[in-house]
Order: sequence, then structure tokens, then C-alpha cells
Amino acid sequence: MRNARILGVGRHVPERVVTNNDLKAYMDTTDEWIQQRTGIRERHFSDGWTGAADLGAAAAREALDRAGMQAEDMDCIVFATLSPDVDMPASACLLQDRLGVAGMPAFDVRNQCSGFLYGLAIADKFVKTGTYDHVLLVGAEVHSTGIDLTTRGREVAVIFGDGAGAVVLGPEDNAARGILSTHLHAEGKFAEKLWLESPASRSRPRVTEDMISGDAARMFPKMEGRYVFRHAVTRFPEVIHEALNANGLTPADIDLLIPHQANLRISQLVAMGLELPEEKVFNNIQRYGNTTAGSIPIALYEALDEGRIHDGDVVCLAAFGAGFTWASVLMRW
Amino acid sequence: MSTRILGLGHHLPPEVERAGVRRPIAVEPVGPSTLGVKAARAALAQVQLEPGAVDFIVFATMTPDVTFPGAGCYFQHQMGCGTVGALDVRAQCAGFVYGLSIADQFVRAGAYERILVVGAEVHSSGLDYSEGGIRIARLYGDGAGAMLLGKGSDTAGIRATAIHSDGRHYKEFWCEYPASRQHPVRMTVEDFHAGKHFPIVDFDAVKRFGEETLAAVIREALDRAQISIERVDRFIIGHVFPEVAASVATRLGVAPSRLNVPAARYGHLTAAALPVALSEEVTRGSLGAGATVCLAACGAGFTWGAAVITL
Repeated sequence: MRNARILGVGRHVPERVVTNNDLKAYMDTTDEWIQQRTGIRERHFSDGWTGAADLGAAAAREALDRAGMQAEDMDCIVFATLSPDVDMPASACLLQDRLGVAGMPAFDVRNQCSGFLYGLAIADKFVKTGTYDHVLLVGAEVHSTGIDLTTRGREVAVIFGDGAGAVVLGPEDNAARGILSTHLHAEGKFAEKLWLESPASRSRPRVTEDMISGDAARMFPKMEGRYVFRHAVTRFPEVIHEALNANGLTPADIDLLIPHQANLRISQLVAMGLELPEEKVFNNIQRYGNTTAGSIPIALYEALDEGRIHDGDVVCLAAFGAGFTWASVLMRW
Repeated sequence: MSTRILGLGHHLPPEVERAGVRRPIAVEPVGPSTLGVKAARAALAQVQLEPGAVDFIVFATMTPDVTFPGAGCYFQHQMGCGTVGALDVRAQCAGFVYGLSIADQFVRAGAYERILVVGAEVHSSGLDYSEGGIRIARLYGDGAGAMLLGKGSDTAGIRATAIHSDGRHYKEFWCEYPASRQHPVRMTVEDFHAGKHFPIVDFDAVKRFGEETLAAVIREALDRAQISIERVDRFIIGHVFPEVAASVATRLGVAPSRLNVPAARYGHLTAAALPVALSEEVTRGSLGAGATVCLAACGAGFTWGAAVITL
């Protein structure tokens, strides 16, 4: 069975940069507080009628360009997001509209911070089985319209940023190259430790006025930060080891680890636990905040541009987040 | 190697009179994950397997329990499936065929041995039952279906799948709000009062698109499986308008006795429609081992697809 390989990577973030100091206009916070806890210095926020599919389309065009391909060459489109443009249909459908293509399947993966890796696992399998030759995978988020930018919501609001990344996957005949294995997990027991409750189809009715405004408003994400942190620093190394074991490798074989950019402190602890030196771990949360499904492809794009990935390198992607869900993908570049 | 259907289950809440029609409606405040658990337990019971035997979950829904995380996570916890992956797929009315196609790849690639594919919806909590919305509200029902997949031989199981999408028509069958593209907030009290969180259906466009695509995708899947229309024991066609499914069957030369249209009985169950209808037939004994079934659906997105399965 053949492998799948990443042929091109693209990235797009909105122009507007919002620094920690800029957030002071909305809430009682400080640059020092945010940096100390998360490592974040600034993030990008979109404007106007910009949705996840709009950011995703720009990232996709660049990924296609770098792969030397056209949107119509894609056999399948996978879109990972937790902030879809509209309630339904899927943002993948809007992406088709933005790219001016139709006919190939297009669907959304809704797996939060692990969404990009769940999508990558799916795309990998479609290519491996020979069902499709080329798959476009996009991870994109517009968080800025869905966070509580007041002092009440600051603990969550300061973390998130808008952005998109995209990859084009194609077949690789060398069994030792490309995506070597994918590992996906979830633990729904902790679903409400990091979640956005409303609208909720389990509520009767699904949407009410008090969900939208007032003291009981619950259209914003909520997080028990310490809880998430504790699980993240356990699950990240666990799922990275799972990927290494599946391929008979050890942490010392990793040339570059790209963790989902949730919190710089988490990434640092994970790297320390695996005894990975700083140059073998890629972090850019300082400039983007947490872009959820967008974070790994954005980081991958920058790692490539900075020459941090070479032919034959072992690259490990790993994620943990809401659900809880966590995942890893091991590749030989 | 192919992917085999090991077990099937479904759950429909009791029928309630609403919007002038009787529909299965989840009156209790539960989401699709809870309905899905009942369907999945029935599927596991058929083969006497415990939830611990499942190594991956694919959950197709357009009406998740909460905004995030996905309904698959809630489902996984209620099932007691440990820490196996739980994927949430969003492909609207074609969600189950998409989920089936994805699960099929994972099994064929050797990544997982037993996958639960669930299609579940609670539409009733998100519909407009007022005078202005009744025309659309009466189209839907709530329910869940589940399919347990495992490794199989080449002569049984999933023989072929074909899935498609055309996002250029996304506004012809959609629900706009909450909309993350609206700045500075996804939904205002004004949007709420304007009812922008209710689905909108362009009846003519949706009917026309369904008729155009369903016959073609059924032929495509059958061609891929190298099975003729005559050799298919049952066509289960999921579309919001039952008359579209009937017209597609006529176009294909399929007699009503070989056609199953879930929307005619329950209203549109979107991602749940196909597994509910298939599970019902297997439970009843009208389809048994060796029977060949074609599942097809078309709806919002537009997305559409078909799968050919030998039980």
C-alpha cells in the first residue's frame, strides 16, 4: 500500500495584528500576565465578512501553488474548523465556492484543536487506499467573533487568534517516506472542561435570547485552564511515544516536533519531558495565539520557510485540546 | 480486503404530533449523542461485542449536542469506549455516506479493525414551529442509526462508495446563524429575532438538484462495484423530499417494492436516515445476509453520495 506525502503548504492570516496591549482596550489585562501564562505576544483578528472559508481559501491557493497544482486537480477537500462560516452547510462547501470548484467531495472535520490531525489521518487513508490521488486539507478559524472580549471572558479570549493553513497531499511510492502513521484519541468524559455550549441541539429550544446576551450568555467558550494544562502535558508525550513506538523510533530520532500551538508553557514542558533540545521543537504561538485547527499547518509552513525541515527528516505533529481529543502524525519528509 | 458490516442498530424517539404531522421527536433535552448510544448499543448487541471492542468512532451529524466539542466525544463517553478516537464529520444530508466512506478507508488501510459509524440528529430543537416556519419544520424528524464495521472478504461488505459536493449552491439549503464570519459577533439579539438561526430551503432548487445528482451517483457507485441495477435488492434513498427519491427510482427503473424512502415515514432524518432505514429492514428480516443494498443521499451543501453494500 502506498503512502501519502505533503506536496505543498500554504498559510494565511488576517492583516490586523492585535497585541496584548491592544487587548487592554477591551478588558482588564496586561502584556506580562498573558506572556507569563501563555507565551503569546500578539494574534491576528479578521474584519468585515471574513469567515474560516475565506482565510482557508487564501491558504489553500498558496498550498496549491507550492504543490504546482490547481484547485480542480483535487479529488477531495477536507476542512477542519470549530468556527464554521455559517451554521450549515460545512465550511468545506463554502471553500469550494471560494475556489470556484465543484464535484469533488467536501466535508468538515469538527475535532477542535486536534481537527487538523484528524483531517490529516483521513486524507492519508484516502490516498493510501488509492481512492483519491490528491487531497486538499485546510485548517482555519475565525475565533475573534466568538470570544468574550471583556474582563469576564479574558482568561479564554486572550488565547485565541484567527488564521488558516492548508496542505496538499499526494501519493508517495517509497514506503519509508511521507506519512508513516497516524494516531487519534478522544476522551469525552472531559468534554465540558473546554467547550462552547450554545447553540446546543440538546437544549429546548436550541437558541434563546439569553444565550446571546446578558449575564447568562453562553455563546462563548469556557475553559478550566489548569485541568486542560494537566491533561495536555500527559497526553502530548503519550501520543508522541505511541507514534514513535509504532515506527520503531525513539524521541532522539525526531528532527522536528510541531506541537499544536495551545500554550507555549505546555510545548516547553512536553519538549523537556522528551529531552528534545529547543531547535527540535517549533513554536510560533508568540505571534498567532491559538489558531486551533489552523495552528499546525501555519507552524509547518513557517518551519519549512525557515529551513527547519530537510529531506529525510523525521517530523512529528502532535495535538491536544477540547473534547478532550489528542492525536499525532509521524512523517518522514 | 474489504470492509464488512458486522452489526446495525437504530433508535427513533416516540412520535409526536407537531406542525400538523406525526414525527419521531426527542422531547427530552438530549442531543444526538444520546440517541446514537441507543442505536450503537443495539448494533453491538447483534454481534455480542462490548464497547471496548470498538477502536474508532465516526459520528455524522449536523445538529451536535453542543457547539463544541463534537457529538462524537459525548457519544464516546456515554458508550464507554475508553480513549479511542471520535471523529465528527459534517456533510449534512450526505453525512452518513461520507462517514461510511471515511471509515471504509481506515479499515482497508489497516488502521482500525472495528469502527462504529453513527448518523444521529436532533432537528426538532432547532426548528421554527411558528406559522412562518412550519413549511420547513414539518419536513424533519429526530433519530439515530449505527453501523459496526469490521474487516471482511471481497465478496461482502462495502462494495463501493462515491461522494461529491458542490458548494456553489450553499445558500439554497442552509442555516446561516451563528455565523463566525459576522463581525464583531456571530449572532446578535436582532439576528435571533429575525429568525436567522432557522434553516432555509429553496424547495425547487433542492428538488431539481436531487433529481439531477442521485440517479447519476447511484449509477457511479454501482459501476464501481460492478453490480447492475437489477442485482440490487434494495435502494434506500435519503432526501428531504420523498417524491424526489421516488422519481429517481422511476428514472432508474426500480420498482417501488425495491425502494425504501425513510423521509416518507419519519420526515427527513438527514445523517440518520440511511442507517435507520437499513437497520429497520434487517431487524424486520426483509433484508438478510447476502442481500445487496444501495444507500444514496443528497442534500445541503450541496453534498451527495452513494454506497453499495452486500450484507
